[in-house]
Amino acid sequence: MPETAGRPRTGGASAALEVEGTVREQLPNALYRVELATEARASVTAHLGGGSALLRLRPGDAVVVELAPYDAGRGRIVRRR
Amino acid sequence: MARANRIVVDTLDALEAAAVPGTTTREMDRIARECIEKAGARPAFLGYRGYPATLCISVNEEVVHGIPGSRKLREGDIVGLDLGCIVDGFFGDAARTVAVGRVSEEALRLMKATREALFAGIDACRPTRRVGDIGHAVQTHAESHGYSVVREFVGHGIGTSLHEEPQVPNYGPPGRRERLVPGMCLAIEPMVNVGRPEVEVLADGWTAVTRDRSLSAHFELSVAVTPFGPWILSEPYPYAQGEAEAAHA
Repeated sequence: MPETAGRPRTGGASAALEVEGTVREQLPNALYRVELATEARASVTAHLGGGSALLRLRPGDAVVVELAPYDAGRGRIVRRR
Repeated sequence: MARANRIVVDTLDALEAAAVPGTTTREMDRIARECIEKAGARPAFLGYRGYPATLCISVNEEVVHGIPGSRKLREGDIVGLDLGCIVDGFFGDAARTVAVGRVSEEALRLMKATREALFAGIDACRPTRRVGDIGHAVQTHAESHGYSVVREFVGHGIGTSLHEEPQVPNYGPPGRRERLVPGMCLAIEPMVNVGRPEVEVLADGWTAVTRDRSLSAHFELSVAVTPFGPWILSEPYPYAQGEAEAAHA
């Protein structure tokens, strides 16, 4: 039975951890500093991932962030909350 | 693993004999399951990622992953039979495309070229060569006959899982991808189309057909890389035992 082509996912989006947070600061290169609503890893540098609903995020906006599996300080904003 | 592959190929022999006009694809699936269970093995595809049957049966323009059902085989069809089983924790996986009754010249040529492409790929399974050499050999052979090879599905490592690393594409430049070393086991499986290489998956979520609905054939064998070259796992070990011990010493 042939396998569907493409690298098997090891980690990746399906395994990523989603956490709620609040945008604190807008950084250069479309990055944002997001304060997480958890005790550990209080804030992460996050880039935008996803649709146009994420354009013009402003400090104070509530978002959901996917945390990078190998770098605790980075994440991807996947949607507004 | 040799035992698992032997059982798969013996079952394919039985299925090939049963592929006559009027047989339903569901009946073929039943034969496959009985044959595998009688040999003391378990079907490997049943339940794999939700696949609902023992056998993948892909008629004419169907490339792979055809689900058995009420369809009756007809004179002139070519039928891809793909089968896997598990014995003692090891997997066997093999496939072939067979003719139902008399089929067209074109179909015979396609089947012959695809089978030859498989063996061209198997011949590349030697230490010092790379996974890309296998795909290159397959593609070169198939395209020399004016056919195309499917990109969306690939061969794979096999062992204690059905699909293991590395992926083994049936196309691409030589000298690339993973180095082949003795002990690696690979399922090599060219899927070759008369028309264009593109395929699409039908609404059942499994059955892959050629987008231009041209005929497609599929042959597969599981092969181990030995210090002396390929060992087709469904066949006896092809190299002298003394030689093997000398090489491992």
